Amino acid sequence: MPEIFINGRAIMAEDGQTVLEAARAHGIFIPYFCWHPSLSIAGNCRICVVEVEDPKGGGWMEIACNMPVAPGMRVNTDSEPVRARRKQTMELITLNHPVDCGVCDKAGECMLQDHHYAYNGAPSASRDPKVAATKFYPLSERITLDNERCIMCSRCVRFTREVSHSNGLGIESRGDHSLIRPSGDGAFGRDAYSDNVVDLCPVGALLSKSFQYKSRVWYLKPTPSVCPGCERGCTVQIWHRRAEWKLHRLDAKANASIDRVTPLENAAVNGPWICNKGRDLAQTFGRARAERPMLKGRPATAAEAIENARRLVAAARKPVALVSSWGSNEELAAFKAALGGRVTALVKTDCRPEPGEVVADALLIRADKNPNTAGARALFGIAPAVVPADADLVLVWGEGADFGAIPAGAKIVFLNAWLAPENGHADVFLPLSIQTERAGHYTNFAGTIGAFEACFARPAHALDAAAVFAALAGQTEVVA
Amino acid sequence: MPGAQLIMNFPVTATSHLLADYRARGGYETLRRVLTSMTPTEVTKEVTASGLLGHGGAAFPVGRKWAVVKLDDGQPHYLCANADEGEPGTFKDRWVLEHAPHLLIESMLIASYALQVRNAFVYIRGEFDLPYRRLEAAIEEAYAAGLLGERVVGTDFACDLVIYRGAGSYVCGEASGLITSIEGRKPYPRNRPPRLTVRGLYQRPTVINNVETLANVAGIIANGAEAFRKVGTAKSPGTQLVSISGHLVRPGVYEVEYGYPLAKFIYEDCGGVPGGLAVKCIVPGGISTKVLTGPELAPLTYDHASFAGAGSSLGSGGMIVIGDGTCMVRLLQVALRFYHHESCGQCTPCREGMGWMHRIIDRIVAGDGRPEDIDRLVAISRANDGTTICGMGDAAGYATIGIIDKFRDEFEYWIEHKRSKCDGVLEVGHA
Repeated sequence: MPEIFINGRAIMAEDGQTVLEAARAHGIFIPYFCWHPSLSIAGNCRICVVEVEDPKGGGWMEIACNMPVAPGMRVNTDSEPVRARRKQTMELITLNHPVDCGVCDKAGECMLQDHHYAYNGAPSASRDPKVAATKFYPLSERITLDNERCIMCSRCVRFTREVSHSNGLGIESRGDHSLIRPSGDGAFGRDAYSDNVVDLCPVGALLSKSFQYKSRVWYLKPTPSVCPGCERGCTVQIWHRRAEWKLHRLDAKANASIDRVTPLENAAVNGPWICNKGRDLAQTFGRARAERPMLKGRPATAAEAIENARRLVAAARKPVALVSSWGSNEELAAFKAALGGRVTALVKTDCRPEPGEVVADALLIRADKNPNTAGARALFGIAPAVVPADADLVLVWGEGADFGAIPAGAKIVFLNAWLAPENGHADVFLPLSIQTERAGHYTNFAGTIGAFEACFARPAHALDAAAVFAALAGQTEVVA
Repeated sequence: MPGAQLIMNFPVTATSHLLADYRARGGYETLRRVLTSMTPTEVTKEVTASGLLGHGGAAFPVGRKWAVVKLDDGQPHYLCANADEGEPGTFKDRWVLEHAPHLLIESMLIASYALQVRNAFVYIRGEFDLPYRRLEAAIEEAYAAGLLGERVVGTDFACDLVIYRGAGSYVCGEASGLITSIEGRKPYPRNRPPRLTVRGLYQRPTVINNVETLANVAGIIANGAEAFRKVGTAKSPGTQLVSISGHLVRPGVYEVEYGYPLAKFIYEDCGGVPGGLAVKCIVPGGISTKVLTGPELAPLTYDHASFAGAGSSLGSGGMIVIGDGTCMVRLLQVALRFYHHESCGQCTPCREGMGWMHRIIDRIVAGDGRPEDIDRLVAISRANDGTTICGMGDAAGYATIGIIDKFRDEFEYWIEHKRSKCDGVLEVGHA
């Protein structure tokens, strides 16, 4: 535990730490572009320069990200010479950067913008034209690259080498003509984690095609959530329009849409990364919704449908439930409390891998494509979801059930959020809310519990599953 | 000849580079003696005692570099000879490779023994053709004669020597760029720490020495450190191969004993500028060293301390003599075009600064310069001094600041009159 002094303040650093890490651990700010806690040290941006005092007098400049701590070391992170050097470095970094924040998606969350205002803020010192490079270079079907904005920090290249292992990106050419380019074999297009480079990019060079020009980031609000794409349960932030920036000219659906999804750093589950499937939650949650309760395909009111379902449950001799592995821990507990005594509950696999999807890998992606299988099994056991032949009522909660395997004589009560052909075949059909409309918790495969919050208000037609279960048990009157 | 000759001490003939001739000159006797009667530590001690300095440009004491490698650390060690020789104006290692390849091989074997290296490399620049062929042939000869590979000269010592050909990138001459290139990657120089003698090639302790530096090792071991120290000066023992070019009657590669009078070397040994013109300035050791004007160089002797006193350095031994009438603005333009072209683009100051300087000097030459451009060139040079991963940023800065400091009037003239101050001055002809 070497003691070092940063800006005169004594700090106990860890052995093997760099000055930058030690400073960060103690809340002392040192700017950086190329450094990233989860990537190797590149030391190429040079903005993290600090002043090291020589015990014999004087001192020298060194980059903090690559300087190991040494006992008694005295470092200044914000002295006059350091600020002057950083201004010089910012002058060079912005020399060929277009500084086109007005039309750049990164503006508002851009490290270059922040550091530029903190350390330089002056117009370019150069009166020579900037180096022209490629705009809108398609790195893959998902990501576009603006080479003029790129500051060659190499974070994206290191990510594909050290984290996703696709080796999909490299640097072509040299000097101020250097260009980030994908490898010829298309590995970057197949990289299931490629979108992380958009977050990693400290400037607006790498942009997600699905988010490009969609919204200024300060109009958006991140809501903490859990990705339901697999049993890993990565914590994410779902970005949607802030209520105060609601656009009145758009319909309610457009104001309640997911603009983008980013990782919510979580050392226990996913670290700083998520996979591309997690980025596409807008598609997962944007599917057509079931909006009407139905009795054998005939529209009904919610009260009617629930009353019918309650009677069916009450009358059944052998009721069986296929419980959703997408239900939150709260909903599952409500089910158990309301119906657990009467109904044989089996945990159903709601979702299976899509064709072409990465089924499982060593980094994050897990083969079970449901977020709460572990939570459901903890309550209802691991018995396979096979409906016994003598069942006379089957309560299906969520999608993914094989309706052909349900005994012919059995009544079906179906609770589902999505529009599906099976909805109309059920004796009673009840439309449910989806994850973004309620709060709750999922238990991931390792037993770690992740919390999600509601991003949007629950629409009038969507029923809360927990309330439905209580009503089916006759405990409450549910009013939708 | 300018002083004692340690490397160029034999007549060059059609066969002098071959193994038979080298053996006739006593070659590989030292290697046999080292392998049979000396310990690795004794070899390193002898080299340290000789005070041998690196001849690649930085003049780092060789013994100190070698001493960092711990022989008992249980890791493989590597030795690389830096034959990339990309510094403009430098072509001295080429002489060693062409005419004394066996001297290099013997020296590298002795160094490999001292550092307990199993696999040694020669990183040779891609443009070198004859040197490559000569070295390759010499290595084949050495393998056939049992001097390389398993059981070197019948002892238990084993060492393989591999030639790696570069593709002509300047930055590959930087030691860490060089090993990154050997590893098969883009030759981005590495941040220190760790030093390469701690984690170098394939993350193992690696010693990288210039070809000429290594070529001195056999002689030092053969004759002893004492004998080596008798040559040259106390602080700069030995000799330097100087490749001298430019406006000269007799350009070429000379072996210059440290402490030899510089003016005598240029005006007498090399014959001075053709037509008896004055020397305007010299680039002392590769374009990356600060230029010395004719009057400045007169009192100097050819050694590190003397040049450092004049604010420059010996650099890589690639001296360029510039005769009166040469335009320094154009000279700087050529230098900056080179640095811009060769900047690897890894770290910010050099990647952006080299292009910026090149664009400014191009604009000045095109007649669109402004007075503040001169200070801007100096400021960019200073922004590169000590801020980059490798020394190339500093080097370009030294060249620029050196030329602007001493010939600022020519830049001001060009900006004001949109043409060279030297236009109309008699161009240098060849005698």
